[in-house]
Amino acid sequence: MIAAAPPPPWARLAFALAALGAVACARDVPRAPAGVLVVSQEQQASWIRNFNPLTTATSARWPTLAGIYEPLYVFNSQRSEYVPWLAVGHAWTEGNLVLQLTTRDSVLWSDGRPFDARDVAFTFDLLKRHPALDRRGLWGFLSAVDAVDERTVAFRFQRVFIPGFDEIVAQQIVPRHVWSTVADPVAFANENPVATGPFTEVRVFQNQVYELGRNPRYWRPGEPHFDAIRCPAYPSNDRANLALVFGEADWAGNFIPAVDRVFVGRNPEHHRYWFPLTGSSIFLYANTRRAPFDDVRVRKAFSMAIDRTLMVDVALHHYSRPADATGLSDAYAAWRDSAAVAAGDWVRHDPAAAGRLLDAAGLVRGADGMRRLPDGKPLRYEVLSVAGWSDWVRAAQVIARDLQSLGVDATVRTYDFSAWFQRVQEGNFDLTLGWSFEGPTPYSFYRWLMASATVSPVGVAAMGNWHRYGSPAADRGLAAFEREADPTKQRALCVELQRVFVSEAPAIPLYPNPSWAEYNTSRFDGFPAADHPYADPSPNKFDRGELLLVLTTLTPR
Amino acid sequence: MSGPRATRATGITAWWHAIRRDRKASIGATLIAGFVLVGIVGPWLVGAPDALVGVPLQSPSGAHWLGTNGQGQDVLAQLVVGTRVSLAIGFAVGLAVVLIGALVGVTAGYFGGRVDALLSVIFNVFLVLPGLPLAIVIAAYLPSGPLTLGFVLVVTGWAWNARVLRSQALALRRRDFVAAAVVAGESPFNIITREILPNMMSLLVAQVIGSTVYAIGAQVGLEFLGLGDVSAFTWGTNLYWSQNDSALLTGAWWTFVPTGLCVALVGFGLTLLNSGFDEITNPRLQMERAWRAHLAARGRTPTRSTPVVRDRD
Amino acid sequence: MPYILQRLGFYVFAAWAALTLNFFLPRLMPGDPATALFARFRGRLAPEAMLALRETFGLTDAPLLVQYVTYLGHVLRGDFGISIAYFPSPVSQVIGTGLVWTVFLAGTALIVSFAIGTLLGAVAAWQRRGWLDTWLPSTLVFIGAFPYFWLAMLALYVLGFTLRWFPLGHAYGDDLTPGFTFTFLADVVRHAALPIGTVVLATLGGWLLSMRNTMIAVLGSDYVNLARAKGLPPSQVMLRYAARNALLPSVTGFGMALGFVLGGSLLTEIVFSYPGQGYLLVQAVRNQDYPLMQGIFLVITLAVLGANWLVDLALLWLDPRTRESS
Repeated sequence: MIAAAPPPPWARLAFALAALGAVACARDVPRAPAGVLVVSQEQQASWIRNFNPLTTATSARWPTLAGIYEPLYVFNSQRSEYVPWLAVGHAWTEGNLVLQLTTRDSVLWSDGRPFDARDVAFTFDLLKRHPALDRRGLWGFLSAVDAVDERTVAFRFQRVFIPGFDEIVAQQIVPRHVWSTVADPVAFANENPVATGPFTEVRVFQNQVYELGRNPRYWRPGEPHFDAIRCPAYPSNDRANLALVFGEADWAGNFIPAVDRVFVGRNPEHHRYWFPLTGSSIFLYANTRRAPFDDVRVRKAFSMAIDRTLMVDVALHHYSRPADATGLSDAYAAWRDSAAVAAGDWVRHDPAAAGRLLDAAGLVRGADGMRRLPDGKPLRYEVLSVAGWSDWVRAAQVIARDLQSLGVDATVRTYDFSAWFQRVQEGNFDLTLGWSFEGPTPYSFYRWLMASATVSPVGVAAMGNWHRYGSPAADRGLAAFEREADPTKQRALCVELQRVFVSEAPAIPLYPNPSWAEYNTSRFDGFPAADHPYADPSPNKFDRGELLLVLTTLTPR
Repeated sequence: MSGPRATRATGITAWWHAIRRDRKASIGATLIAGFVLVGIVGPWLVGAPDALVGVPLQSPSGAHWLGTNGQGQDVLAQLVVGTRVSLAIGFAVGLAVVLIGALVGVTAGYFGGRVDALLSVIFNVFLVLPGLPLAIVIAAYLPSGPLTLGFVLVVTGWAWNARVLRSQALALRRRDFVAAAVVAGESPFNIITREILPNMMSLLVAQVIGSTVYAIGAQVGLEFLGLGDVSAFTWGTNLYWSQNDSALLTGAWWTFVPTGLCVALVGFGLTLLNSGFDEITNPRLQMERAWRAHLAARGRTPTRSTPVVRDRD
Repeated sequence: MPYILQRLGFYVFAAWAALTLNFFLPRLMPGDPATALFARFRGRLAPEAMLALRETFGLTDAPLLVQYVTYLGHVLRGDFGISIAYFPSPVSQVIGTGLVWTVFLAGTALIVSFAIGTLLGAVAAWQRRGWLDTWLPSTLVFIGAFPYFWLAMLALYVLGFTLRWFPLGHAYGDDLTPGFTFTFLADVVRHAALPIGTVVLATLGGWLLSMRNTMIAVLGSDYVNLARAKGLPPSQVMLRYAARNALLPSVTGFGMALGFVLGGSLLTEIVFSYPGQGYLLVQAVRNQDYPLMQGIFLVITLAVLGANWLVDLALLWLDPRTRESS
């Protein structure tokens, strides 16, 4: 073989280039200027300029719904109370058929024009004329909305429906003088928003970052305390988490695995998180239109077979806790009845008791150890989950394992979301994981779990109540709730609903979802924390305006 | 170039000896054989890939040689089971792609004229359409699973083979022995299956190997994007889950490094095997080998010059 | 000239085929964008909102042929419809945000890889069995066997995450305003180094081998031997005689490689959160945003077809045989 040739000239050139490249790549940490809060909430490849607060919620850039535009009242889920915002007061009149809202004086739109009751009436009228904008289904119970005078709006209802208040006051209000000239508000991108919120000035809008400056005319004196919000486009959870870990982002609402090690461990002084359990509750839904799930004993037995402690460890990295038998998350802590919780012994992990319940229901073990229906058919079920939703898939695996040791031949089956959703909606399943429906009160939560009115026939797509359970006792409680405006009496009715749920076990609660919030206190102070729980800490809470409480509290260091 | 008769004479044993003689080919063959072996018997030797065996994201240890993934499942078990599925899909697609390519290409090359013009336009169109975006778009509309994946890979992969095999068929069509068969009145089907295809055997094998490399790479890419069945266990879905469970952030290198290495080793092995074949079947390289052996026998080192081969025809 | 026109005709035909495929594929499959949008909320959206969503995305029930003709007409005017996930933005606007970055990334990677790979291939063939020829091809083939995105993940992890030599993503710093300033361009180069580097590394082996193998064949040909015999300087023989002729197959492969590199760079973009079409396409798929998905596919296809035509033009200039035949 020949001797190795000396490196030719091109190699020297390559080395020189590489050295030059290395010099060009000095290490750095991109830092935003002081007073600019860097937030990662949406995950997209590049930004599209859209600040329309009325069309589908995903189209508008964060925080259009609670930051640029504002609702009438802000619901504080931590304190379970309403904070007056664009409205300062309300009253029910004409036997609770009319809701009168008093709007705030001295509020200016960001272009300097005054805000008044006619803007509110105009906004609701817009929703009536364009049903695609009516995300909350307001005109399902409203019959008319009028501005009585400059400060009063009257909402006339089709029937007495007190929970309608929650939906009305959460509506973002748009300026009449701008939107009355918009030809198609559904397809309106609203690139230069005129609004009442703390951040209304679009300073930068590029495909990978945008920046919103403070509203110079904001109605809350001295607020916001900082200059601007910056949102870089991170396409994935992973990338957003990297930004957070390296201090590029100040605030995010992502799932981070092993958060203590990965995030807090890098900077224990400033890297903080708080995951209050105020997300929607995750349930195991059993199709009550199919035997043996029409038998409450079977549902309770399945529930007792599940090791929820293991489930929250495996599926959620300890970030949650096992659900109690009311199914209520901590968002409803003030509503929860301890007696109902105590009565719900069927969420405790007790395989022996579960076995006895199934025996009593006539589902006894055969010679092979597997249980059979009275007609001899084996209990063979698929636990449905959504492909790619790793927490659900893991939870379903725990369920399948636990049911197998109970003598039930359960396997996990994952579908793409659309396929899964179609099966679930049409009632074409035995067991499936699913979420719950949330609102400021447990009304809609329990309504979609057990109201007869929400039961659709099998084969017809149901918006909720996929397990198709109707309870006459719950119907009475819910009907009373709809007509009850007194908070103390509402609470009593809610206790009644909890008791019904605990005794009938329409669905099997698994765990409440955390509300994700991570933040970096090296540049900003005043994030909600477990020791200072003034609001929900997550930037994801924009639907009901809670985000505004945080944006008006944060102060730069 | 060498006469087709020469390659025609090589049987399986001849290939075998050739592989053993060539260093590259034998390394490649060993690698592939190892992976195939793991794919066949491995799944019986490891635990269930979906069993929850312990705390998520454990680093490699005696109990779990490659640690656990973000779901507390054994990475080794998933890798081994994934080997079976990924290789199976890879080889099946590689074979299918060449079969279809051969069918279209040889038909076009043999019949020529309008048939050739039409088929050529079709495969040329498929050839210029960008493969991965096309695959993504098609896969998006079909239910996820190995069948969809296979279908998508075949749709985006066959055209190249058709093109290569067409020109080969075109060349063979002009050869005396084919002309003789045509004159003898043999049916086109017989000529194609008895005369043309056997003479393209080494090319076909090379194409299958090359297409398998493509199929495995593209399959892993699509699955990494979540376009496969994410509840199945394949190399691509392993990488998808690794990314999904924030492997970079948690420093869980063991969830993606071994899988990537396996993909690379299989691809590398197949490429070595192919270039080994090339050295065996390429007459110029054969001559060179003989020349070097000749010189070595006389205790001399070869110069940089390359021996020239004359066409024997 | 007829040759170039004939090629142009072929590309127009290919574009039409892509358009047609694009139109019929989604209509053959079931699927509902409103459902997919709903999925992203995992219960944070009121059930009533579903109805409002369906209302928003009302799909027409016109006969397929009518839809097809309307569709072709719209596409010719550059109108790809309205994106579902980015409602109400038109698809062309959504694509426009990132197209230039994808073209930059894939184009640069391809050219750099082609140039370096071809050069190394020529050198390897020239110094046959030298240290370069012994180690480089197999090393590069081995590296090339790794999936692009895997190399990208590793590069991001080691050079970006651990060593912090390179930025973790994006095409330029968030504080900069795009423009032809030195700071901005330098920042773009810095951000592109890793994504382009990984693609180049993964594709280098292919160019090298292709060039090396043709070059070996060319080096054995009579005219090269003659040039050598005439006593021309080796560098002149290598570049003027051998390399120029050995380049032809590589140039022919250039057009083909474009689509391939583009696919790879889409995956790489995703890893580096580069603001190109890659993640946009994947998100469009996940959201069942058919109009956006089709738009991206079409734009990419048209770009590849256009580039292929340019390669044809280059071939015409490089290869006298093509010129004569036309």
